Amino acid sequence: MSIGKLLVANRGEIAVRVVRTARASGIKTAVLRHPAEVDAPAHLIADEVVTIEGPTPVAAYLDIAQIVEAAKRIGADAVHPGYGFLSENANFVAALDEAGIIFVGPTTEVIDLMGDKIRARAFVEERGFPVAPSAIEDDDPATFVERSRAVGYPLLIKPSAGGGGKGMRVVREDSTLESEIETARREGERYFGDGRLFVERYIERPRHIEVQVMGDGQGNVVHFWERECSIQRRFQKIIEETPSPALSPEQRDEICETAAGIARAVNYRGAGTVEFIYAQDGAFYFLEMNTRLQVEHPVTEMVTGFDLVSEQLRIANGETLGLQQDDIGQTGHSIELRICAENADADFLPAIGDILLMDEPGGPGVRVDSGILQGGKVSTDFDPMLSKLIVHGRDRADAISRARCAAKDYVILGVTTNLGYLDAILAHPKFASADISTGFLSEEAEALKSTQSPGSADILMAATALSDARLVTAVEQVPEIYRMMGGWRN
Amino acid sequence: MRRILELGGEKTPIWLASTGSTQVLHVGDRAIPCALEKVTGNGAYLLEIDGKQVPLRIAVDEEATFIHFDGRAYEIGRVDPAETLDGSGSGESRDQMVAPMPGVVVSLSVAPGDQVTEGQALMVIESMKLETTITAPRDGIVAEVPFGTGEGFGGKDVLLQLEPEEETD
Repeated sequence: MSIGKLLVANRGEIAVRVVRTARASGIKTAVLRHPAEVDAPAHLIADEVVTIEGPTPVAAYLDIAQIVEAAKRIGADAVHPGYGFLSENANFVAALDEAGIIFVGPTTEVIDLMGDKIRARAFVEERGFPVAPSAIEDDDPATFVERSRAVGYPLLIKPSAGGGGKGMRVVREDSTLESEIETARREGERYFGDGRLFVERYIERPRHIEVQVMGDGQGNVVHFWERECSIQRRFQKIIEETPSPALSPEQRDEICETAAGIARAVNYRGAGTVEFIYAQDGAFYFLEMNTRLQVEHPVTEMVTGFDLVSEQLRIANGETLGLQQDDIGQTGHSIELRICAENADADFLPAIGDILLMDEPGGPGVRVDSGILQGGKVSTDFDPMLSKLIVHGRDRADAISRARCAAKDYVILGVTTNLGYLDAILAHPKFASADISTGFLSEEAEALKSTQSPGSADILMAATALSDARLVTAVEQVPEIYRMMGGWRN
Repeated sequence: MRRILELGGEKTPIWLASTGSTQVLHVGDRAIPCALEKVTGNGAYLLEIDGKQVPLRIAVDEEATFIHFDGRAYEIGRVDPAETLDGSGSGESRDQMVAPMPGVVVSLSVAPGDQVTEGQALMVIESMKLETTITAPRDGIVAEVPFGTGEGFGGKDVLLQLEPEEETD
């Protein structure tokens, strides 16, 4: 069959992104809307808008039964899940299968496998792909210390039941291993009521490098090269780029072929991303596989020239990949900035407000994937990401320069954004020299604090006073004699 | 005409005056001639200041002015001391006078139980070197005056409370 009508089960910038490609492919589009959303750009370009109900907008976008019902009602042949929400939910895929509607993505089996981090890690390791050395106490408690020693130092002890960094201990010397295991066990019992542990090799100053893969579920898999996403705050990426400045051509081929190999091992269908932890010594280890389109996919599109959503739709339509690895090149350098409504000077506290004025940047190599409109509202109903600014340049320095200019030209007034913070990161000498790791933003927090340029205060105060209509009107109504006298007392 | 502007956590009192053809911004003991010209329909302006013309984007809402200048967005809070304190400010309860920012009580002319009439001077306060007289927003009876002469108060503190208005059918 051929997809004639596509429902995008998402919102914000990604709904716009998917609708644009679907329209260009001659497919009719429908998007969802919760009554609380009054200002979504996707609603302006889709052929059809379907209202869904829910106690909160997020609850509505997670309502499998309601969304499948909506897809059936409007006669959608396929559903594109975007990222987040139901994009990696095997129950959603199963419900669509049952309704005879195509899910633009992989099979339920692959989503289930990769969604279980322990199973996915074991699957990858069994097939000979690199995972960080580790030892799980439960496998054989009697030999845990011996097996931990074999992992090698430095190592990290983690409570099995843990999370959020609690109870984690870094061990650098064998002499302290046993006492640290006992300390970690007590902490695990105290925090989680569970003293079971596991250890893994501790990677110092790691980088996050991931690889875009695409398969057709008919035995063909290719990769679209890597992305580096080491610039993270609160464990979330805010700047991504490709190529990774950390990799030599040989390492690039190795890591990309590893990712493609993992995708081949599951006969992967659709777009996916294999994420790796990359150590300073050049070793890399499988972290997880995301079975969907990623937020940062546009940087890959900029350097390869492919429209990944178009490829997704072709594959969902039952076509074969029709691409050889050699068909996919990597030209120039691309950087993505995630524009978020948040205060970088106040621990990234999400900001709310009205978008009073908005003007997007342009120029050669500049792309904006935006989920906001001028006059719209930014509320706490959804994720604080407003839009993505993506640039392409001849090389990394050129891309950084274009990204800085575009960030400066991006006008968003009425709600606090991280645009100034993103520019400060791009301006940091260590970013320029690519001396970064996932800890970069914490390590350089002081240097990245916003500063006000001297001399700007007068301009800002004058502009504020003169654009204050009531103030200006009042001043003009003051009788001449008082104007002459002024009114300042000090 | 006064405003107190808040920029990057710092509050600065300003005074705008007009000499007829141009306007003058007074900040501290400095007088800065300036003029603002709107250049398009989408918040674009040219500010003439210090012998230069500076391009700006400006958006104004109730309490703050947002300015995009030199590649950065700024939010400048605006307070009209007189307006907020005389009770006619937007959304302000007509029973309470609330301090817009920290300051000191300079003098008090009423005490709890006093009958006051609309517009009557109740107290004088000083914030950011500016003295402001607080007047009654309506006729009524003073219920509470939490701070005495010479006492300091914080931003958003209640400076004076009137007895609730009687229901009239």
